[in-house]
Amino acid sequence: MLAKLEEIYKNRHQYAKDWKARTGGKVLGYFYPYVPEEIVYAAGVLPVRIMGSHEHDNLSAAYIYPMYCPFCRDTLAEGLRGRYSYLDGLACADTCMHMNQVFDWFVLNCGIPRRGTFIANTPANVAGTHARTYLIKEHLEFKKAIEGWVGRVLSDKDLDRGIEIMNRNRQLMRQVYETRKREKPPITGAEAQLMVLTSQFSDKEEHSALLEDILNKELPGRNRDRKTGVRLMIVGSEDDDTAFLKMAESLGVTFVIDDTCVGSRYFWHEVVPGKDRVAAIANHYLDSTPFPTKDWSERRRFAQVLKLAEEYNVQGVVLAQQKWCDPYELDIPSLAARLKERNIPTLFLEFEPTLPRAPFTTRIEAFVEMLCGDEEGLFAESSTVKSGS
Amino acid sequence: MTTGTEKRKEKKVEYWKWPESRSTTPGIDWTKASIITCGIDVGSVSSQAVIMTDGKLFAYSSRRTGYNSPESARNALNWALEGTGMKPEDIHYTVGTGYGRVNVPFAQRAITEIACHARGANYLYGPSVRTILDVGGQDCKVIRCDERGKVETFLMNDKCAAGTGRGMEIIADLLSVPVQDIGRLSFEVDEEPPPVSSTCTIFAKAEATGLLESGWPLNRVLAAYCRAMAHRIGELILRAGVAKDFAMTGGMAKNEGVVKRLAKELNIDILPPSFDTQIAGAVGAALFAKVLAEKEQKK
Repeated sequence: MLAKLEEIYKNRHQYAKDWKARTGGKVLGYFYPYVPEEIVYAAGVLPVRIMGSHEHDNLSAAYIYPMYCPFCRDTLAEGLRGRYSYLDGLACADTCMHMNQVFDWFVLNCGIPRRGTFIANTPANVAGTHARTYLIKEHLEFKKAIEGWVGRVLSDKDLDRGIEIMNRNRQLMRQVYETRKREKPPITGAEAQLMVLTSQFSDKEEHSALLEDILNKELPGRNRDRKTGVRLMIVGSEDDDTAFLKMAESLGVTFVIDDTCVGSRYFWHEVVPGKDRVAAIANHYLDSTPFPTKDWSERRRFAQVLKLAEEYNVQGVVLAQQKWCDPYELDIPSLAARLKERNIPTLFLEFEPTLPRAPFTTRIEAFVEMLCGDEEGLFAESSTVKSGS
Repeated sequence: MTTGTEKRKEKKVEYWKWPESRSTTPGIDWTKASIITCGIDVGSVSSQAVIMTDGKLFAYSSRRTGYNSPESARNALNWALEGTGMKPEDIHYTVGTGYGRVNVPFAQRAITEIACHARGANYLYGPSVRTILDVGGQDCKVIRCDERGKVETFLMNDKCAAGTGRGMEIIADLLSVPVQDIGRLSFEVDEEPPPVSSTCTIFAKAEATGLLESGWPLNRVLAAYCRAMAHRIGELILRAGVAKDFAMTGGMAKNEGVVKRLAKELNIDILPPSFDTQIAGAVGAALFAKVLAEKEQKK
């Protein structure tokens, strides 16, 4: 069943095409998890998150600067390759200026029908005084635009259905994450990431059904013989590089938790149902752990990272930085300092679209050696005598 | 009769080629040793083999790495053993380190160069060392360690050859100055010039060419380059923080033009080495090999 997730991940474009053929529904691509998927599901539309494929890219540089983050470049390259030609529409949540520009280029160059483009603006400061009023209005506008696109009004019942689909999926992913607290987690960090990624690529009702099977039939007793090794957390932005997690987890570590927008931050919080459905949805996006671009003035994300590190008994944290992603990088010195106060060492790694295997291997192995103490007694009799040669 | 190409080949001097070395410690009878261990450090530019008898440095070699890591490891070992009467099969345990650590066919274990340099520096410089700067062929590491030589934290440069040995080799070739002479010659200037402004190896090379064309004497260009490299490395050290004692390992530790400028820039004392600084990683590997060999023998 976990293998099925990998299959969906590898064939995500085909999955969406098949879904369209199967259901006759529309597929809406979206940038950033601030797009209210509840409204998209309420309309019977399949939302798929736009992502790259970690291939060498010689296309995006003609459209965006090389100092845009690798995720942006990788994502745009995927569109320019024509792999998102099946999309009926595209939505952006105004989270990052680099991604906003990728959205523009997608609309202009990647075959997106103009009638199907949407912007769900999100306040720059989710804790601001006017953030709630603003986002509710924006979500109402987004709902209205989606209604015009699909040709019907979305009722409270539709919105309830959208909220229920999203919340159910969130609950199940939380349950899977809960198992990672165990001394021997039944699921690796790479597998957990595949779960979250595929949640963003596939029909959440189908995904939830798969997760129920995984939770009930596959995870009990799984990985009993696998050595957990050093318990690590990965913290960063769109760190969808599953190959990195697999590589690292072959070196004596297990990523037991994360704070990334392709991991826990995507699903951690649920929509609290309310009479005003749109307000309930908007409140959810404001009250969830914010992205650094919107995390003002109190850095709520830091508290969440520290809480998760403690709850999951983390020994070290990998600070995964998408090169040139300034909002995340600006947080790193303060975050590393707060983790250090709690005796949690950090390892900073700078990511590009493709994986620098040898340098990263050395860094991870050295980090593991550093964290492992002296279980082997390698330093029991460290010499204090100079060679004299 | 020779062709033009052959003539050019005859004249070609590769200034970047630093001297390879080997040594045997006199007065050690290896046949009486209970444990013989070996550390092999296959780096991106150089490979070292260190042989230890009962935890004492017996022999070593330091050579340039070829395109084939296993071959480089074997060549380094064979050269270290040359004239000693010892054969590879006399070695009880070998640890591989460096970028090619997993490609040392005769090693029983691989340990990162970060751990090995820290352990090696602890042995070679003494237990007072707390900060180690290893500037190798293609990377630069700042390691903080405890009194046992165990790593407490580390930082490495990212994706760039500026501030590494390869950058210095490129400048040696460009300016036709043997790489081992650069440090000394860089001080033969009337006054210290500003550093070359770019710390990218390729751009720095272009800037050095420009400076020569604008009439700068060769030594002044060398000084400007060494200063830029010291500055670049210094930035990494400051990120990691400096704790006394401070020691250097790797090939760049032999370049006084960088070492002295670095000490001045950071206002620190750098411990003077009394050995070949390139062997520190392999020394650490051989010391780890000793512990692992003893564990094996106890089984």
